[in-house]
Amino acid sequence: MDEFLIGVLSNIGLMSLLALSAWLLLVVGEISFGQQAFFALGAYAAGIATALYGWPLPLGLFAGVVVGALAGFAVAIPTMRLTGLAFAIATLAFAELMRLLLQLWVFQREVDGERLGPNAVEGFRGVRWVYDHDLSALGYLGVIWGIVVVVLAALFLCERSRIGLACRAVGADAELAEAQGLPAARLKILVATVAGGLAALGGGLYVHLATYVEPQHFSIMLGVHALAYGLIGGLGTALGPILGVVLDIGLLEALQEIARYRMIVFGGAVAVLLILRPRGLLDEALVRRLTRGKP
Amino acid sequence: MLDLIQNTIDGVMIGGAYALLALGFTLTFGVMRRLNLAFGAIVLCGLYAGAAAHQALGWGLLGSIAATLAVAVAAGLYVERLCFRALAESASIAAMVSSFAIWMQLEEIAALLMPRRTYAYPALSEARPWEWAGLSLRPDQLAMAAVALGAMAALGWTLRRTRFGLAARAVATAPLAARLAGIEPARIGSAMFLLACGLGGLAGALIAAVDSQVTIKFGMWAMLKGLVAMTLGGIGSIPGAVIGGLALGVIESNAQWYLGAEWRDIVAYGLLFAVLYWRRGRERPWTNS
Repeated sequence: MDEFLIGVLSNIGLMSLLALSAWLLLVVGEISFGQQAFFALGAYAAGIATALYGWPLPLGLFAGVVVGALAGFAVAIPTMRLTGLAFAIATLAFAELMRLLLQLWVFQREVDGERLGPNAVEGFRGVRWVYDHDLSALGYLGVIWGIVVVVLAALFLCERSRIGLACRAVGADAELAEAQGLPAARLKILVATVAGGLAALGGGLYVHLATYVEPQHFSIMLGVHALAYGLIGGLGTALGPILGVVLDIGLLEALQEIARYRMIVFGGAVAVLLILRPRGLLDEALVRRLTRGKP
Repeated sequence: MLDLIQNTIDGVMIGGAYALLALGFTLTFGVMRRLNLAFGAIVLCGLYAGAAAHQALGWGLLGSIAATLAVAVAAGLYVERLCFRALAESASIAAMVSSFAIWMQLEEIAALLMPRRTYAYPALSEARPWEWAGLSLRPDQLAMAAVALGAMAALGWTLRRTRFGLAARAVATAPLAARLAGIEPARIGSAMFLLACGLGGLAGALIAAVDSQVTIKFGMWAMLKGLVAMTLGGIGSIPGAVIGGLALGVIESNAQWYLGAEWRDIVAYGLLFAVLYWRRGRERPWTNS
């Protein structure tokens, strides 16, 4: 496979994890403008673990997930009682706060005669685990997509379980769900925790692919893109956000000649699509029709 | 103490412009219950048109402001038709994401047509700052605050004293009853949307004229400031938008002075998070207006 294709597919995998993270919250009826913060936390935590302390990659990624999930949980506790626009803006405030604090944060260590680690606005360079261990670009692509497939499988299992059904009920009408005895608030906190972990997993994989991150990468632009992917692809299934990412990155990277006009074409196309399908291409009604009769 | 007074004066000046941006969000949110993420990009389009008129046609301050307002309202019309009017009332998340897509589109068009990093915008006033008892006051900032105040007063009068204002308030507080009384919420919503874009354009023009330049980053900046100021004062409240804008200006300028420039936004966002938590993020659409 040629390098360009590997790069595009790797990016699609990474962004899929972030898009799934925003999609999970959409399923329970919450809009988050701030999932990029957990992506950033995962990138920094996993990068510090492997580059500064010599942890192996799987352990580093796991550390990132733990940090992201804990942060997701910690943010969900105070914001859980907010709804609608207030929740969205609270997540935005948190994410911008995180980004600005990362711009001030210096945490460096001597590794093999070289100073490594987060260096405020300069960013975090030298996360070279993948290259130091001779993992090829194709191999790393396999790692990324292996993880995405496992995550998707887990989400599909959840979707068919009682907990998945409960999440859909909360998303459709939180008060009605609560009246029926579902712990809406606790479910939302659970989902926010998982979403934080998922975004962090994407971030951990991202920093090891790019070897370098800076706080500026994690602006609100990234978060709103992640949110948009879920709505373009469809809210009905976990494949929806992935379809959204494939459409944006895949299709438009493939059309390099019109790259200059990509956002003009894509922005307009998304607006028209949402007029026709306000809950995305793979929306709940379509998914129900396709899976009818199956358990 | 003198520092505190000086910071507060500076903060109130820029706060007036923040308040106009916050009002832009509040007006649309009040009547439509939807968030227009393309707001900053709409303002940016207006500013770029003003800068182009200044550069290519040699228009002065008033001409540039007029071009800014006209193009901001035109861009607003485009966004309103494509992202809001065409979508069902229940599809508020789709409308928001759609307006985000158009934000990207408008910003890209602006960047393609005018690719330089910065463009000159006619200055509001070249006069030297006035000094008094150790305090200084920039005339252009004072003019910005005065125009913002005038715009807010005109808006208040429109909402309170005209039939249009009455209809808009009816739609904001009781859409169904308004419809029964023969008011068309969709038409009022469109008019409010365009009014909000005009106010945003005015706020943008004032800020650009004080800086005497405009960059492509202005759209996102304006959107974030407007959202933060609106939320600080209470989502959806008109007096809240004004208070939120002024408060944001005063907090930012004091944080910058006492803690350093890098803390300016950190303090603002931290406070925003705290206010949302403390007020439980209640939405008060147009109360006490």
